[in-house]
Amino acid sequence: MVEINATLVAQVINFLILVVILTKVAYKPLMKILEERRAAIEGSIASAQKEREEAEAMKAEYKAQLAQARAEAQAIVAKAERTAKESRDAILADAKREQARMLASAREEIALEKQRALAELRREVVTLSTLAASKVLAENLDAQKNSALVERFIDELDKDGSGGLPC
Amino acid sequence: MGHSGTEHIGSHDLIEVMGLTFHLDTLIMTWITMGIVIVIAVLATRRLSIVPHGWQTILEMIVTALLGQIESTMGPRGKKLAPLFITLFLFLLIANWLGLVPTFKSPTADLNTTLGMALMVVIMLHSLGLMYKRGEHLKSFFKPFAPFVVIKVVEEIAKPITLSFRLFGNILAGEVLIIILGLLVPMWFPVPNVVWLAFSVFVGAVQAFIFTMLSMSYIGEAISEEH
Repeated sequence: MVEINATLVAQVINFLILVVILTKVAYKPLMKILEERRAAIEGSIASAQKEREEAEAMKAEYKAQLAQARAEAQAIVAKAERTAKESRDAILADAKREQARMLASAREEIALEKQRALAELRREVVTLSTLAASKVLAENLDAQKNSALVERFIDELDKDGSGGLPC
Repeated sequence: MGHSGTEHIGSHDLIEVMGLTFHLDTLIMTWITMGIVIVIAVLATRRLSIVPHGWQTILEMIVTALLGQIESTMGPRGKKLAPLFITLFLFLLIANWLGLVPTFKSPTADLNTTLGMALMVVIMLHSLGLMYKRGEHLKSFFKPFAPFVVIKVVEEIAKPITLSFRLFGNILAGEVLIIILGLLVPMWFPVPNVVWLAFSVFVGAVQAFIFTMLSMSYIGEAISEEH
């Protein structure tokens, strides 16, 4: 029932032939594809890692840029405020100076006008007084002398404190 | 080839070529097994793609599982022998299952096949051991001390015998029981036959796996760097 014969050797040879065929047909291509898959997976993991790092770097850069832009905006606003305040102060100072100048010149003018008016008035008073006096005296005096006479008279009046207008 | 009666179980069609006797039925069944394995391999690797489909998935599963075993039992040196063990597993698996097809016989139900495989493994382990470790391989027979050589020699002789008879006995018993169940159980009650067939499918896979794993560990032991 059980006998060992040349079949044993034939089976070993059969098997070794099968090993050779399978190695050629299946094993080598399969190993190649497994290696390729490993490489593909490794590659995609590496690229995903790289992309994530890039994205993170980009995010950090954007954050920095945003912060910088914000700081710049703040600086610009602060500068604008300062400039505005400075120009406001300058305008105010100018206006004040101008006002003071105008006030001073107005005062000067008023004083001048007053002086002139007073002088006019005095002259008028002298003339009138002279006229009145000459009429009263009915004596035509030398106009020059008259004037001097009245001037003195008025001066004397001033000294006495009579005569309402302050001179 | 067919199982027409109990008197044919274990008997073979003999053929004489150049004074040598061969079992023609075993040879034909072996060639059919080889054909099936090659067809599966071709189907699985015909359109290889990075994303596996169909047969490629199944073959890849078997190959990567065996590669994992090879790496853990034999280390980097075993990688070169990976095609041999993968072929051994696929060949034995299909050979064991072939006997479950009516009118077919398993090549592994012939002791010539299993003993041939087992002797091949033993010859390989000794030649690889000598190749990688030279004198160390021979010295290992006298460790831990000289008288151990008796036990070691018995162990080495037992290796091919246990390896071949385990597989042969399991597969032959399976086939015998299929025939006997066919004779004992009436045709209208096929439950025991179906159950036994299903169990034989399991046994065939397990025996192919055991044979492959033991071959791996024998050869792994012989070629491992430390001993």
